[in-house]
Amino acid sequence: MTTFSEAMPSLTRRAASLLVFAALAAGLVIASLSPSSANPAEEAKDYVQKLADETISILSKDGQTPSEREAAFRELFTENLDIPRVAGFALGQYARLPSPEEKKEYLQLIEEFIVKVYANRLSAYTDQTFHVNGSVEKGSKGKEVIVESKIEFASGREPVPVDWWLLRQDGGGFKVFDVKVLGVWMAQEQRDTFISVIRNNGGKFEALLKHLRAQIGQAEKEIQEKLTGEAQPQPGDAQTEEGIPASE
Amino acid sequence: MIKLVNNKVNKALALVLGASLFAAGCATAPDPADEAAVSSYEEANDPLEPMNRYFFELNRFADIILLRPAAEIYDGVLPRQAKQGVRHFLDNLRAPVILANDMLQGEWNRAGTTATRFGINTTVGVLGLDDPATDYGYARHGEDFGQTLAVYGVNEGPYLFLPVLGPAPPRDLTGVVVDQFFDPLTYIFWDDGYTVPVTRFVLNGVDLRARNLEVLDEIERTSVDYYATIRSLYRQSRAEEIANGQTNVEDLPDISNINFE
Repeated sequence: MTTFSEAMPSLTRRAASLLVFAALAAGLVIASLSPSSANPAEEAKDYVQKLADETISILSKDGQTPSEREAAFRELFTENLDIPRVAGFALGQYARLPSPEEKKEYLQLIEEFIVKVYANRLSAYTDQTFHVNGSVEKGSKGKEVIVESKIEFASGREPVPVDWWLLRQDGGGFKVFDVKVLGVWMAQEQRDTFISVIRNNGGKFEALLKHLRAQIGQAEKEIQEKLTGEAQPQPGDAQTEEGIPASE
Repeated sequence: MIKLVNNKVNKALALVLGASLFAAGCATAPDPADEAAVSSYEEANDPLEPMNRYFFELNRFADIILLRPAAEIYDGVLPRQAKQGVRHFLDNLRAPVILANDMLQGEWNRAGTTATRFGINTTVGVLGLDDPATDYGYARHGEDFGQTLAVYGVNEGPYLFLPVLGPAPPRDLTGVVVDQFFDPLTYIFWDDGYTVPVTRFVLNGVDLRARNLEVLDEIERTSVDYYATIRSLYRQSRAEEIANGQTNVEDLPDISNINFE
């Protein structure tokens, strides 16, 4: 290195340093002009990594009550998930069926449903590490991108592939439209079942609302049961002494 | 050539379908004036839904009184290593069928992996009871003739749910039958009654159920229509298997115009 710079005529060296300076300055200008489009693929991957980190930190936080955890998930989901789009997609051709009041209730119920169902399903993932692998652009408008990732387990369980369908927001940043876990897109699953419920109930939207209310009520009940089970250890202990499992 | 095969297969599928349609006797076609109902009926692609739901409930009943308890005992009694041994042994027995379908699909690298796995696991892995091949970098993949047909361009066809067998749309049902012919065990135990194939089928079912005890409970608890959920899960995971785990962006639905606020 030293021999190289020593052999270099001083004029060329100055020219070189000028060039480097010019390149740096140009780079700075470009960077300040378009801060968000520096590397769209990396941005999407970073966003997913951040989202996964937040999810894992909620899951692994000790001393949380179920309702605290649910509140944390609710915040995460409502901030990062395009719920109206999922809600519309899940209705398919029935999207124009609900009345304005039904629509309002449906949007509330689907948020509740997603928070309860996915908070529950996510709880199954513990002792994991998360790897973002790559991303693919979808469509020609540059609005959608699929990020591929993998959850790996310390226990030696087979890794779980997870794809993230992201939507670029007009003001920068992303929202999640759908997540594919082990080959299953969640919003597609909801669409297939929601449409089936409406169609099998004579095209009545109220039937879907009724089913959603029932599911949410059921999930609520389970959480309450868990809560009372944890809050009163004495009767539970007494039961196990008699040979009856505390969870029954 | 492929077109000819395709034609024949489609005819066979039509036959199977025709027979089951006749058996069901009833289909629930929607009112043609109701556009949303017609399109969602077509999207579900399940013309025999009443019959399928009936068989689905039948299987659920059998699950509650028979399969689930057996799986729970199996899961609770056997130590983890033993269960893994059973799984590996069953997986290894399946290798010839996977190899045949790898080759029929022209997936030569994957065929090589399957053959190598079979060699390693049958010898070093003590008749397939262990799976050292995965540690050597030859991870397992599944393959069946239903997937081969899909690669040849055969559509899944309308949904079909059968007693015992579960989800078996015509293409995959054909696959299950054809795969029997690729299986050396079919010929080895040809004269031996059904003991070996039936034992294998039952053990496979119990092991599969045992590994999904909690998952299936969770799915049932969190779905508004369990039957439709299983239909969706079956179709989606089959599509994933056929694509060998690759996500094809072009196959995803267009969601750019959804406006639901």
